[in-house]
Amino acid sequence: MKFTLNWLKEYVDTGDLSPEALAEHLTMLGLEVDGVTEIFPQLKPLKTAKVLSVESHPNADSLHLCEVAVGEETYSIVCGAPNVRNGLVTAIALPGTIMPDGTKIKPSKVRGIKSNGMLCSERELGLSDSQSGIMELPDDLEHGLPLLQALGLDDLLIEVDLTPNRPDCASVIGIAREIAGITRTPLTLPVNNASLEGAPCEFKVDVEDFEQCPRYTARLIKGVVIAPSPWWIRSRLLAIGLRPINNVVDITNLVMMEYGQPLHAFDYDTLAGKQIFVRCPKPNEKTFTTLDGVERTLEPDMLLICDAVQPVAVGGVMGGLNSEVTAKTTNILLESACFNPISIRRTARRLNLPSEASYRFERGVDPDGCLTAMERAVSLFSEIAGGNVVPGGVDLYGGKQPLNSQTLRISRTSALLGIELDYHKIADVLQSIGIRCKEKDKDTLWVNPPSFRIDIEREVDLVEEVARLIGYNNIPTSLPVVSLSYPEQDPQRGLRSQTATLLTGMGFSEAINYSFVTDKHLSLLKLAEDDPRRQQVTLLNPLSEEQSVMRTMLLPALLENLKRNINFQKNNVKLFEMGKVFTPQGANEQPIERERLAGILSGRRGGESSSFHFNDENVDFLDGKGVMEQILENLRLQGCGAMDVVQFRLPVPAEVDPYCDPLQCLVLDTEKGVLGHLARLQPEVARSFGIKQEVFFFDLDFVLLCSLQAVPKSFSSLPVFPAVKRDIALLVPEDVKAGDLLESVRTSPEKFIECCEIFDVYQGKPLEKGFKSVAISVTYRSPTNTLTEKNVSKSHTKIIQRLISQFNGSLREG
Amino acid sequence: MEQEILSLQGLAKEQLAAIENGEQLEEFRIRFLGRKGQFGSLMKALGNVSAEDKPRLGQMANTAKKTIEALYTEKQQTLGTGSQRASEKSGSIDLTLPGRRPQNGKLHPVTQIMNEVCSIFESLGFSVAEGPDVEHDHYNFEALNIPAHHPARDMHDTFYISDSILLRTHTSPMQARIMENQQPPLRVIAPGKVYRCDSDITHTPMFHQVEGFLVDRHVSFADLKGVLTTFTQKMFAKDLALRFRPSFFPFTEPSAEVDIACVICGGSGCRVCKRTGWLEILGAGMIDPEVFKMVGYDPEIYSGFAFGLGIERIAMLKYGIDDIRLYYENDLRFLSQF
Repeated sequence: MKFTLNWLKEYVDTGDLSPEALAEHLTMLGLEVDGVTEIFPQLKPLKTAKVLSVESHPNADSLHLCEVAVGEETYSIVCGAPNVRNGLVTAIALPGTIMPDGTKIKPSKVRGIKSNGMLCSERELGLSDSQSGIMELPDDLEHGLPLLQALGLDDLLIEVDLTPNRPDCASVIGIAREIAGITRTPLTLPVNNASLEGAPCEFKVDVEDFEQCPRYTARLIKGVVIAPSPWWIRSRLLAIGLRPINNVVDITNLVMMEYGQPLHAFDYDTLAGKQIFVRCPKPNEKTFTTLDGVERTLEPDMLLICDAVQPVAVGGVMGGLNSEVTAKTTNILLESACFNPISIRRTARRLNLPSEASYRFERGVDPDGCLTAMERAVSLFSEIAGGNVVPGGVDLYGGKQPLNSQTLRISRTSALLGIELDYHKIADVLQSIGIRCKEKDKDTLWVNPPSFRIDIEREVDLVEEVARLIGYNNIPTSLPVVSLSYPEQDPQRGLRSQTATLLTGMGFSEAINYSFVTDKHLSLLKLAEDDPRRQQVTLLNPLSEEQSVMRTMLLPALLENLKRNINFQKNNVKLFEMGKVFTPQGANEQPIERERLAGILSGRRGGESSSFHFNDENVDFLDGKGVMEQILENLRLQGCGAMDVVQFRLPVPAEVDPYCDPLQCLVLDTEKGVLGHLARLQPEVARSFGIKQEVFFFDLDFVLLCSLQAVPKSFSSLPVFPAVKRDIALLVPEDVKAGDLLESVRTSPEKFIECCEIFDVYQGKPLEKGFKSVAISVTYRSPTNTLTEKNVSKSHTKIIQRLISQFNGSLREG
Repeated sequence: MEQEILSLQGLAKEQLAAIENGEQLEEFRIRFLGRKGQFGSLMKALGNVSAEDKPRLGQMANTAKKTIEALYTEKQQTLGTGSQRASEKSGSIDLTLPGRRPQNGKLHPVTQIMNEVCSIFESLGFSVAEGPDVEHDHYNFEALNIPAHHPARDMHDTFYISDSILLRTHTSPMQARIMENQQPPLRVIAPGKVYRCDSDITHTPMFHQVEGFLVDRHVSFADLKGVLTTFTQKMFAKDLALRFRPSFFPFTEPSAEVDIACVICGGSGCRVCKRTGWLEILGAGMIDPEVFKMVGYDPEIYSGFAFGLGIERIAMLKYGIDDIRLYYENDLRFLSQF
């Protein structure tokens, strides 16, 4: 809602309130002021000028030499406008002025004659599209005045961000009423209350359904002369960004902004049968052309204003081209009506035709106010447009509601707000904005909100009014008294935070990507057509194709993040994301949402650290595996003494996704099913995402991870006796898996094996081709005594023999 | 054999003493201490001695080798060569060199703020609940007193999946979901992603909110002010000025918006606060009786308040982030700053 300070002051005395203080008051009343700004600041340097003489230009037929007076000074100006004449008062841009289009006016020579400035058209000033030459201001206007002052535009524009519950404030008078509540001054209104004289009337109105149109009033004005509005009306409209059109249309707009009541003027002579029917379309009425020249498709439940033959307007939304007021119009039927908010909203939506009128109707217009606005408009018609207002008219008010009457309990109000209140305080604030109150009993008030406060329907609405008028900041601040309870927390949240902490500790940063993605991602990953992840939830109204389906995987967006980072020369990237993926169910069912954890590793192992400290090796598969092992051990799902809850295993071919390198892929398996996998991205898939470097990733079902039973922490005594470490350098065929060697040691029947680990793997010269050397360190320890050389040697020899025979190996020599 | 050992030891000592540079030292190492060096051969030879002499001679040989190794190390240090780093040889290092830092990553700023918000409310005894991102129209709107064709739906630019399924436009549906299944007293916050089909310099189509509500007997607007004042001051600054002003949400009445004194200009007026000196930080209100009726609570017995806040907005204000698109680009140059 936009209005100007001076406009507001027509209705209410703002006393000594500064514009800032006024804005502050409005904001604190719930009418949030979005801005207080100057109007047309670019026109500040312009002045009014009076043309003293006009002569033809000696060198050009279409140009004139003019002498103009600007206050004390006179200027010689060359002007090409056809309407320049002696005595005309117009707008001048003197040398030095910067025009709205950015050009600077300089003294210049036009066809050899000096010109000291420019006489301006409305179009050049951005005030209208008028092509009819330079601006024409009233002849008696003083010259030398700032143009803005002369036009009444030296004013401040105030913009209020209205909440949907306050349609009454979609009017300057509505805003003034709120201010009057603060300044406690009476309102000065152009028309206070109007009624219709009961004169017979030459036209007829019928309303089919008062549910759809609770009130319809209409009056006839004859003999209007269509012309531009006087400047005071045009200024009001220009200031708030409405385009002045002609006196009739401008008056309806002005009154709508004043009273919040949309009005519509029909060209009476175009109405067949001098009749108005408010009804829904007939079966044969499929389309209708609105006054913007667009043909609209009608639907059976849209409300139309029709004459005896055809529709002439879409009720409350927009008039029709066939009944529009034109330059030739002389007789006007003026409509001031109230329509059903839901119906208007639905229609405006379906026609995609939001208007100032539909904005008000869909929020709720006061049906009691129809005649007041009508009266204001017709008096302006007779005053300004030379209209002859025909006495009498039509007022069909079939939807009249009983007087709004509520009760308000003082105790309830006090308890809800947390402030002690009494009858006087409550009645005082409510009455300040015209809500009538009466004492019903000791604790209860009878309250009658005015008809325009359609938002007040319940006791709690009145409680809010009381709070608002007292001022939220005058209500005390307390902490609730509640009984102590332990808030049970979701274990998934805890695990999420624990996992994130582990990952950040290992150099991973957290990514958050949009939940909606492009479905092209899955093709880039080469997913099979029947892959279940191809089943996506699709948005009906996406912002773009890039964000049109809900994701079924986290990996693609992480790859895009990687690409972006590489583009900005961040080549060493470790990112993870925890987020939901979505699997569709039935058409009107919610999809299954399941949280996953995915991460990518690419670039140097040492990250961004200087190669002075860390060498320049890149990450490989085992870096990814190490990350998984670290997380699983810390979550007590692996390597905690007992059976590993999560185990790595090689995938069977069907488990290898097409975007995974089949030679570098491990499955993380559990008794409850596959937790996820860890792999190297196929290089051609990486390239299709624009990535040229190696990428490793992990992708886990985080919900399954959370459901796993962690190995409880339990203490085992620290060893008292020393350990003995023995190494084995074993030469085995190259396809022997290190993991199998370790497993064989661990599962051997030998006693005292505490642990074993791989400490070197070597392949190449001088070893025979097809073989590798694996160095295994075995630690022996007895809980009850110090192991002797003898004990250990015996076991160690057996283990060596076991490995040699199981894996077809030999001890490495030399 | 004994002789052999002692002689080798003596020889080695002699030679070592004469060494003057690293090259010579390395030659010495290969000759005596290398795998195929003198001491190596000696050890192999021990394999042939009789079983009763073996332990004694073995120990002797070991001692000799250790002695020479110790002398070798000593020599290495005096010469300042070998595998030691240049920085260590003089016994001091260049302390102005950068430290050898273990790598670590950062949580997304949205997660950091989210955690901070949640932990403040958890400390006040609120529990945390999460709900679906893809919601029924019923929970997102109807159950919150926003029927179809209500103008308040204009405040929510909604992504639809079907007529009745949509991406939640706020975390408020959790109010209805929880109240439907639990009885007061309730103290809950619901963090999560929300979606609006709106994308410009100040809006991303996905962002994060935290919804919170408290329902009990005798809860008042003053309590709402108390809890949110506590929260805001913990989140920003202890003495931060804040104000409550009337607003409208269909599911609360009275409704309020909470502003804090602009953290950028301190209240004197700047571009960020649109010269008002205030920044809108959260929306709140007393839960509307209609919402209570829909979940079967008696509004004459119970009252409560609800609030909602945007995480990205708080992060912007707290960290001075001036471009919201940065949030979802996951640029490490951005993420590493928090």
